[in-house]
Amino acid sequence: MRLFKHTDIDFLGKRKIFYIVSISAIIIGFLTLYFKGIPLGIDFLGGTEMQVKFSAPVEVSDLRSAMDKAGFMGMEIKSMGSATDYLLRTPLQGEGQTVGDKIQAGIKESMPNTNFQVVSIAKVGPKIGKELRTNAIYAVVFSLLGILIYLSLRFQFVYAVGAVIGLFHDVLITLSAVAIFDAVFPMLQLEFNQQMLAAFLTLIGFSVNDTVIVFDRIRENIKLYKNEDIEQVMNKSVNATLSRTIITSGTVFLTVLVLFFFGGEVLRAFAFTFAVGVITGTYSSVFISSSLVVEWKHRIEKTTKVKSKTKFNA
Amino acid sequence: MKKNLFRIILTILFIGAALIYLYPTYQDYQINKELAGLRGQDSLDYVTKNADKIKSARDGRLKLGLDLKGGVYVVLDVDVVKLLEDLSKKKDDVTLNQILKELREIPETSDEPILDVFKLKLKDRGLNLKAFYGDIRDDEKAIEKKLSDEIDNAIDRAVEIVRNRVDQYGVAEPQIQKIGGKRIIVELPGVSNPDEVRKLLQGTALLQFQLLKDPETAVKVMKAINNVLVGNTVTDTATTKKTGTDTLKKNETLTAKDTSKKEIAGNKEIKKDTTKTGKKETVRKDTSKTNKKDSVKKTDTAGLTNDSANMQDSAANLSEEEFKVKFPFFYLVRLNEQSGTADGYVSEKDKEKVDLILKREDVKAVIPSDVMFAWSQRTFDAGAEKIYSLYCLKKEPELTGKVIEDARSNIDPQSNTPIVTMSMSSEGAADWARITGANINKRCAIVLDGVVYSAPVIRSKISGGNSQIEGMANVQEAKLLEIVLKAGALPAPLKIAEERSIGPSLGEDSIKKGLTSSFVALILVALFMIVYYRTGGGVADLALVINVLFVMGIMASFKATLTLPGIAGLVLTLGMAVDTNVLIFERIREELDSGKPHKTSFDIGYKKAFSAIIDSHITSVITAVILYQFGTGPIQGFALTLLFGIGANLFTAIVITHFIFDILNEKGHQAAIG
Repeated sequence: MRLFKHTDIDFLGKRKIFYIVSISAIIIGFLTLYFKGIPLGIDFLGGTEMQVKFSAPVEVSDLRSAMDKAGFMGMEIKSMGSATDYLLRTPLQGEGQTVGDKIQAGIKESMPNTNFQVVSIAKVGPKIGKELRTNAIYAVVFSLLGILIYLSLRFQFVYAVGAVIGLFHDVLITLSAVAIFDAVFPMLQLEFNQQMLAAFLTLIGFSVNDTVIVFDRIRENIKLYKNEDIEQVMNKSVNATLSRTIITSGTVFLTVLVLFFFGGEVLRAFAFTFAVGVITGTYSSVFISSSLVVEWKHRIEKTTKVKSKTKFNA
Repeated sequence: MKKNLFRIILTILFIGAALIYLYPTYQDYQINKELAGLRGQDSLDYVTKNADKIKSARDGRLKLGLDLKGGVYVVLDVDVVKLLEDLSKKKDDVTLNQILKELREIPETSDEPILDVFKLKLKDRGLNLKAFYGDIRDDEKAIEKKLSDEIDNAIDRAVEIVRNRVDQYGVAEPQIQKIGGKRIIVELPGVSNPDEVRKLLQGTALLQFQLLKDPETAVKVMKAINNVLVGNTVTDTATTKKTGTDTLKKNETLTAKDTSKKEIAGNKEIKKDTTKTGKKETVRKDTSKTNKKDSVKKTDTAGLTNDSANMQDSAANLSEEEFKVKFPFFYLVRLNEQSGTADGYVSEKDKEKVDLILKREDVKAVIPSDVMFAWSQRTFDAGAEKIYSLYCLKKEPELTGKVIEDARSNIDPQSNTPIVTMSMSSEGAADWARITGANINKRCAIVLDGVVYSAPVIRSKISGGNSQIEGMANVQEAKLLEIVLKAGALPAPLKIAEERSIGPSLGEDSIKKGLTSSFVALILVALFMIVYYRTGGGVADLALVINVLFVMGIMASFKATLTLPGIAGLVLTLGMAVDTNVLIFERIREELDSGKPHKTSFDIGYKKAFSAIIDSHITSVITAVILYQFGTGPIQGFALTLLFGIGANLFTAIVITHFIFDILNEKGHQAAIG
């Protein structure tokens, strides 16, 4: 069975369109991030978070008034997909676990007829939260740096830069997608926690993987078609790898989709992030990274031409 | 073909190794299944009968993280402000307390070392560290150095205290890690009550000096316990009844003779160190473990009582089995007749059984109210077994660790052996002189939170408060004793910086959903591969299965923990495995399209795909390594599975599938790839 056979699409000729698409996506992303911010999870914010399971459905409003009475004004209360499962969160930590105890006591007092069990409690101190934040930034920066160095060694510096810009592009767009989806579908419980960090690093790995495979073919074809224009060679390479790109991205997307729908709450944020990442990752390796390399090469060609002209004139 | 033979052998070896490493996991699963079907006495019998098997399966099985299993995860920080308060010599000083209060109000996110802030605040008030922490002649710099050392050392004390308590708490597979030299991470799988854990970890450490009961009394108590146990056996089985009553009539004690067991003598003796000028008196602990060799005699208390001498005669002829029946307690708790002590030696696997016996109500009834049993912290090896000592102590402590002012481990320049010196406050020294004077040649145990760290013999009256403990096997042991003694003097106050408790129900739920969805995804991808690439897809699917096997096997062999993000990492790895095969297959198709022969196309396809495969895998390795470096707990689990997966994937893609295609394409056959 074959879905793609010998495509010959002029991807790079249309690169201006892709620039517009990407830039507008990034602008929308920046705006959402600016106004909405990234919903940070308790891992990075610090605070106390408690997941409770009631034996019978409970109204959010009841729970909220119970918390207000217990002294937790403005406690964040989220339903976890059903009227029996709730997530309670407050930036307070308290000594030991008194916050958790107080929350439980508050529910018991205001809602004496309900039975509930505490599914999980997490308390993260502000110092730990801050450290996790810095470590997350380090992790992203260092992996980008590592990729930049490795690709510079294996290809040329231009390619490495093209790939890393592509990665920035993917991270930004996925980050804004998280912000947008969190605003529109709060029940998805998308928030930036350690697992989402893992998803981002995975998408970096996946996206660079895609880009590397396209670049690998370009590297090979440049040797084969020495006399052809770089833009043509690149188009050939992108087309040659297109089948593989789509099949792989398709299967990975399928996998992630299954995890998103059936993997349970814990995996959902991870799956969502990665699903968006697969799309932008595939898009950027086909349309963005290679295009940037072409831009650069053209510029070098022009300047060398200008230089040689001036030389000639002189 | 030769090349393939090597590849085939390598593959078989790896698959075999993976299966061997995964066998305990399977065994553990089977055991749990069988146990689930048993009730009450049956399940107890099953556990007793298969204790070794259960333990080895549990040690070797693939470990599940807290998110999958439920449990409590706690990160502890040393409370520096509290430590500064404890260390100060003028605890009631108003200014000091005001400064400490201000220090507590500094937001925790501040990166500035608390000691520096403290110094500044003192300076602002025209004070210095000397005012609260030193003598007039002390140098300010020296005091600062000492304080900062104390802060650094506090974490070591805390780790020891926490480890000691967690071990006693009896959690399976606890993890205690010191992170970055200033933080402790404690993971307690299967524990559901975070309240209890908090009390366990944050309570003040209690160091006590307790005298050992004299050997005669200790043996008498143990015999009484043994008799209780024998009495119970009598009612249980008809055959043992007779021997049981015989034993009671003759009033025998134990002895034995077991040719297979090792005999141990922890011959600790008290000597007065005459080489010292007397200013510093000595408690020497002489652990001449001279009898740690095979011996025909097993355990006895010979020489201690006439009873035991009699018993030795009659028991000398008992077989191992008979001994077990007649002296069930002494079968577990072995004594050494030559040591002149009544320290019981218990192998690690029996420790739990002895604990259960000592907790029984009928056993408790025969233990005199002023007697208690305590375990040694250390074990020593006898052959393949680890041996704990069981001490019989006087319940009432002679002294608590609060009187200790300082403890230092050192090398004695004269004997060139490790020693620990400790000094006591003048108040404590007076008590200590009285205690040591009245108990010369008796043994005094150093007990932290109910665990005996050392039980040296008192050799002389120690009147100056300065004692010296000798006989440590090595420097580490001396260092540990120093830490323990200091823990008594100065507890390490701990703050809980992070705490997570995951209920087992969430764990079960998430493991089920995570596993099912991963499985469904895998099946879908596998089906697609077969439809799209035919035989090639089948081979790729086989590679997928082998991949999963390898990753699990590597995880089991590294004793790594499988977490939920770990499962995600595994799924991602499988995505990469599919990608690698797709890459190769598409390349082969290109070669076939260009009209090359079947076999050549395969070889060229593999060759040309190679550089892309290597580059993409190495970039993934880079991210995985960085993730492992900067991530914590669950994220590290993710990075680890990813890393193992990349390795397994390279092997399956480059070696295994290649030789399978070679074989499939032999003799004019043509493996279809769609």
